Amino acid sequence: MINDIFSIMLPQMSLGFFIILLLFLSMVLSPRLYKYSRLISVIGIFCSIVLLSTVQTEPQYFGLRNSVMSDSYTLLFQFVILVCGFLVALLSKNLIKTKKKHAYTFHAILLTAIFGAINIISANDFITLLISLELLGFSTYFLISFAKGYYSKEAAFKYLITSAVSTGVFLFGVSYLYGITGSLNISQIYEYITVNETSLIYSISAIIIVLGLSSKLAVFPFANWIIDVYKGCDTSVLAFISTIPKLAMFGIICRLMVFPLSNSFELTFVIAILALITALWANTYAIRENNVKVIFACSASANASYALLTASLVSVYNLSTVIFYLICYVFMNIGVFAYLNMYGDNNSFEVESFKSLYHKNHGLTCAYALLIISLAGIPITSGFVAKIYLFSAIANSGLIFVPFLLGLLLLTVVALFYYLKVLLPLFEECDKNNETKILPPKFSQKFVLVISAIITFFIGIYPEVLIQLCRYIAYNI
Amino acid sequence: MNILLSVPFLIFMPMVLSLLLLSPLFTSNEILIRRFSKSVFAIHFLYTVLMLIFFDSANPYSSVINFFGLDWIQSMGIKFSLKIDTISMILVVLTSFVFLMASLSSKFNIRKNHKFYYSMLMLLESSILGIFTANDMFLFFLFWELEMVPAYFLIGSKFSEQNEYNADAKKSAVKFILFTFFGSMFMLLGFLLLHYYNFVSNGVLSAGYADIISSTIPKGIQMLIAICLLIGFGVKLPIIPLHTWLPDAHTNAPTPVSMVLAGILLKTGGYGIYRFNYEMLSESFKTIAPILAVLALINIIYTAFVSYAQTDIKRIVAYSSISNMGLVLLGLCAINKIGLSASVFHMVSHGLVTCGLFMIAGIVYLRFKNRDINTLQGVAAVMPRLFGFSVLIVLASIGIPLFAPFISEVLTIIGAMNSDFSDVIKFAALFSLPLLILSSCYMLKFLHNSFFGEVKEEFLKVNDLSVHEFVILASILCGLIIFGLFPNVILGTITG
Repeated sequence: MINDIFSIMLPQMSLGFFIILLLFLSMVLSPRLYKYSRLISVIGIFCSIVLLSTVQTEPQYFGLRNSVMSDSYTLLFQFVILVCGFLVALLSKNLIKTKKKHAYTFHAILLTAIFGAINIISANDFITLLISLELLGFSTYFLISFAKGYYSKEAAFKYLITSAVSTGVFLFGVSYLYGITGSLNISQIYEYITVNETSLIYSISAIIIVLGLSSKLAVFPFANWIIDVYKGCDTSVLAFISTIPKLAMFGIICRLMVFPLSNSFELTFVIAILALITALWANTYAIRENNVKVIFACSASANASYALLTASLVSVYNLSTVIFYLICYVFMNIGVFAYLNMYGDNNSFEVESFKSLYHKNHGLTCAYALLIISLAGIPITSGFVAKIYLFSAIANSGLIFVPFLLGLLLLTVVALFYYLKVLLPLFEECDKNNETKILPPKFSQKFVLVISAIITFFIGIYPEVLIQLCRYIAYNI
Repeated sequence: MNILLSVPFLIFMPMVLSLLLLSPLFTSNEILIRRFSKSVFAIHFLYTVLMLIFFDSANPYSSVINFFGLDWIQSMGIKFSLKIDTISMILVVLTSFVFLMASLSSKFNIRKNHKFYYSMLMLLESSILGIFTANDMFLFFLFWELEMVPAYFLIGSKFSEQNEYNADAKKSAVKFILFTFFGSMFMLLGFLLLHYYNFVSNGVLSAGYADIISSTIPKGIQMLIAICLLIGFGVKLPIIPLHTWLPDAHTNAPTPVSMVLAGILLKTGGYGIYRFNYEMLSESFKTIAPILAVLALINIIYTAFVSYAQTDIKRIVAYSSISNMGLVLLGLCAINKIGLSASVFHMVSHGLVTCGLFMIAGIVYLRFKNRDINTLQGVAAVMPRLFGFSVLIVLASIGIPLFAPFISEVLTIIGAMNSDFSDVIKFAALFSLPLLILSSCYMLKFLHNSFFGEVKEEFLKVNDLSVHEFVILASILCGLIIFGLFPNVILGTITG
């Protein structure tokens, strides 16, 4: 028994070991050695990735009353989360330079957040899920407030309040579910649902649970925080916020939807409408914005809502499209924030200040442009294939959802408008008195940007391998 | 011979060379870049002519590209499959010809950013050829979307120091891309539904043209799909309420780009309607055709009047293209062999004519720095050779016998008259006859106002046509006359 847990929880354990190591070093080492914190956290995540490959892909349940599980689905999500964490940790160089004293603490918290995220994926019990959720939420709160200035504190406070409220909502839904089924274990709830008839109260509880969980995706009732958070926090932390919590949340929401919450048409409909409202709000909000960070905040919210709508139309095919979309999406986002990180957090993020950056650095700006084009869904990038694949899932779900699909498609036209607003100033003619100063790009930033651009490009040309993988994962859940 | 003539080579050669051209390794010597690009387009044209010579309609060129034994997106049944049948072949040759002309005329209009310009031009050629040769609807959609990127940059970027570049170019490029994207999103909806219902009715997960033609989709859903697709193609063609991007884009783009846009880009819309609505959703097209014919009639008459009201030469030509594309649409609505072949023939003849007209507008603007027909006068006095060509091409455009547009216009109307399933189309054909008068009104007005009269003193020393321009106009005119005298070259191959 102990042996089993040890073999399966090894990635988490190694991550935990590195968290403790970093916390210990933060007390012992002098701030002059701040640089090594990044190295240690990168090594920690890398070890975790390596150890993840030793875990078996067959479904396994363990822990107290089977509160933790592991199968190919959780492994894939954990792998992607760890890879994202690896890339995010690489980007933190500029941030920890400004706060040398707290460099080790920063990385310890970053690893804690990743730890929380991979535990969310493997949770098979609502209590475990809640604890992991809070672990991720509180760590994110610290990470946001890490940047200099008043805005980051405001953003962090806003995030804290939103996530506290949404956790409350989530627990409210869970309490209903517990009342109906008498269990908090996801597998047991699923068994109960398959045997017994479900009532309206069950659908209501399902809706409330998904609402509570989707606050971290910035879906409608809890969407407002995303603007302030993106405005306030550092770009390396943004690379974290826009990917890892999103992966974790989708990981658990999709699994909940496929298993215990599956047979509720009301849930599908409510979530679909909320997602459409979110997409409408986010896309129209971004039209008037001139701040690049805010534009990407809206884009993050909108993209999450597309995937959530697809995920809510429960089927195995849809699940595979959502997984594919998420994998494409996180790499685009990390690349974008790597470029913004390179651009420097001291500059203003107004669209105008990005003028003619193409003439300063051809290759990297082209990579950035490729990522934005991919976000807009133009070929030959992964975003194009992901868009077709994702929307094909909605089209396959029946004629009722055609208006939803049409709405989303028209909103992507609006989205193209603001992506162009970000994209076009880059290629404008050079001004003589252009004062934008870019820090010389570091190797790690270039590495992250180029890696994500290459992944985006190759998935765009030849998506079949990744799609096959996603289908395999989805059909074996 | 068939081994040498491969479709992927035809499509990807310009794309690969454009990437080569864009890379920093390639020389940045402007003259070398220009000569290199010209020769690329010329070789490409020769290659397409070679393909045309060895073309056999019973055994069309086709190829499927596999990636390590897997299809492109096998999970959705999407194959990277290309095929050139008769209509594709004609349009491919036209594409290659128009691009060759555009690259030749770029010598005078493009003064800077040569590398970027020519690579975008090649990329545009590749994507348009992809549209014409795709044999899978998602591949078609890929090229359809891909074409927006180079087209955007060609319309909106700054390629010359002179005041030919005006500040509106960027705005009209954004307008172009948003309109196209709007249309293509409707198209995507249509394609996704078509893909799904093809799967439902056929049981095969496939997006290939042949599989979709053989499927039986319920009529209501067919109508839904057909309308979605028509909005997508209607933006490109353009059908009237969706046309407002066109005059701006065509006016503000550099001359060679206008030639490409009007000569080829609009035809992709017509080709799409033929390929999808006419061929695949034929059942619903019979219901839609009368409505479309009315829209086509509005296109023809309304834009002819609008064109008469314009004073900018390029705007006149741009509106006249909308008018002519209405005729293409009317030919397709007839749903018979005459209408179809006339429609394709009109695509070719209008492609040539509009290419020539934009070339004339560009030449005049280059010399006189003016495109306003109210203030421009006396071009004929200083540029007699240009005047000669202009008279001939303008006469061709208004449908005088001996030139290709005459035959295509008359045949379109005959085809529409012969359509046997709806009287609306016959009426539309009848009422579209004034086009022949209206087009002569605006075209002759343009010719009269700008070419006749006293020339202003500062323009007395303007040079007449250079060799490049002469060659371009002469070859366009040759095409017009050849197809005017021997229309069976095209009509015969289409009708079989």
